[in-house]
Amino acid sequence: MSPEQDRFAEQRPQRVRVQAPQNASLNIAAARPEQSAETFYVRQLIRSQLRLAVAVAAGLLIMLVGISAILAFWPVVAQVTLFHIPLPWWILGVGIYPMIIVAGLLFNRAAARNERRYRSISR
Amino acid sequence: MTGVLSILALLMVCVATMLIAFYGLRLSRTTSDFYVASRTVKPWWNASAIGGEYLSAASFLGVAGLIVLSGQSGLWFPIGYTAGYLMLLLFVAAPLRRSQAYTIPDFAQIRFEDSVLLRKITTYLVVIICWLYIVPQMHGASLTLSIATGLPGWVGPVIVAAVVCLTVVSGGMRSVTFVQAFQYWFKLAALVIPTLFVLFQVMPEYSVPERAAAVAGQLQSIGGMSLYETISIILALLFGTLGLPHVLVRFYTNPSGQAARTTTAIVLCLLSVFYLLPTTLGVLGILYTQDLGANNADATILLLPQRIFDGFLADLLTAIVVGGAFAAFLSTTSGLAVSLAGALSQEFFQGTVRGFRISTVLATALPVLIALLTNSLALAGAIGNVFAFTASTICPLLLLGIWWRSLTARGAIAGMSVGAACCGLALLGSNMLPESSDSLWVLMLRQPAAWSVPLAFVVMILVSKSTRRRVPANADRVMELLHVPERSYKPAGDTGADRLR
Repeated sequence: MSPEQDRFAEQRPQRVRVQAPQNASLNIAAARPEQSAETFYVRQLIRSQLRLAVAVAAGLLIMLVGISAILAFWPVVAQVTLFHIPLPWWILGVGIYPMIIVAGLLFNRAAARNERRYRSISR
Repeated sequence: MTGVLSILALLMVCVATMLIAFYGLRLSRTTSDFYVASRTVKPWWNASAIGGEYLSAASFLGVAGLIVLSGQSGLWFPIGYTAGYLMLLLFVAAPLRRSQAYTIPDFAQIRFEDSVLLRKITTYLVVIICWLYIVPQMHGASLTLSIATGLPGWVGPVIVAAVVCLTVVSGGMRSVTFVQAFQYWFKLAALVIPTLFVLFQVMPEYSVPERAAAVAGQLQSIGGMSLYETISIILALLFGTLGLPHVLVRFYTNPSGQAARTTTAIVLCLLSVFYLLPTTLGVLGILYTQDLGANNADATILLLPQRIFDGFLADLLTAIVVGGAFAAFLSTTSGLAVSLAGALSQEFFQGTVRGFRISTVLATALPVLIALLTNSLALAGAIGNVFAFTASTICPLLLLGIWWRSLTARGAIAGMSVGAACCGLALLGSNMLPESSDSLWVLMLRQPAAWSVPLAFVVMILVSKSTRRRVPANADRVMELLHVPERSYKPAGDTGADRLR
């Protein structure tokens, strides 16, 4: 082997076995006291986002549980038919989906607005 | 003849999946660095991929089967699957994307750095949930293939396991959002085509007033679930979606928290459109395949074309449905297998590539065995049980971990253990009870979510409060990471196209 090749062999990087990280933690340091104003704004942001999410989720739950209760206690609803298909089938099979989508879109706008407000205050 | 066309459709789906996985991987390696590319997947692609991964055997076959079995009550399942995504959007999508966690155990570790035990417990729960979720896919594969072609029951699961193993081991599945996205649209088409054909064929029949008037009676004649069961299922599906391991991984490919939200909103639309089809087919199933009985109700969609058409058209439509069904089994199973193999290899093989490959084989082979040894329940019902289990274990960890800074590792461990024990034992116990009894106690065992989910939350909160000193010192900083919008984030309203690209 010529000395030329030898030199390249030395420079060749060590073979490394690919391995998933053993530790996913990000080593985030504890909050320092001087950042307490920032912490306050973050808590405000979290609280407003949580309030928003809980409001939408509660609306959704009340709607779904309410509909199931109405259908259980007033089976008369099923007597109403539209194109020969009972009303509950239309409500459950078709009607609820648009409401879910609208709730999602409204939430997205409101959540983005909360974040914009946080940005404008914290900087 | 039916058999030949169905086998052809099945082979085409398997080959197409593998080809896209292999070549897509090569493509993504040569064009740009894969990891960079994955962070900048457009919301539409990403949403299609999530839809493709999420719509499993339970959605594709199970929903129509359940509508045939329990009538109006069956309609709650697709609603729950979709509304569960809304809950994901509300509470989890953006914070989880910002957490930089790739899996649920990662999230547990980011939130509670010191607790090795919490990470371990979370890993084991993820493994159990994935296995429970893969088994119904295998049941579906077994049912589909034996109904469509008459082959023995073990062939379907073995094919699914083999294709998933090959694609995942080669590294294809993980990289290629493409395959999953393709499978959403394929599944949609595989239901749209038969639905339209069947509808156009049977519509003239209902111009006769007597025939049309009988429809309402036929639909209402099927006894449904009690109010308690309905509410319990709604809760299980709503909260269970939050903790599905294979779904969470997908959020990582969004460029930012806001993009994660946009993606989730699109997923809501995709799911809503999709579920109209099994619902329609379920209604047609009540009218035309009512005689299938409880054991074969899941085959409604497979058998419907043959009840309405005959000859080549019937065979062709059946073959299309078989192809779509296998796309559903493959995409969901591969998503789960990746999550499961990741967790297993991390836990038992120090996360090496070789360990990942061994884990993939374990992850798919074991469910095949379980599926062959057990009888298939109603698919949508079996998946509903998995959702109840997820809702009682992973969901409280994620919800409280993301939104409540005072959660402690001990509280999380206690809550998840109580939730897992109660929900798991109740479901096991209800299997041993006779089918016929319908007292409230039996219903509470059969559908435990209505009490086991609140219980898990209460235990988690109470134990955290009593171990208040153990709140991690960096809790505030971690909360900041989860909730503060990214620096690169531009307010909505600008021309979003560039940002989302």
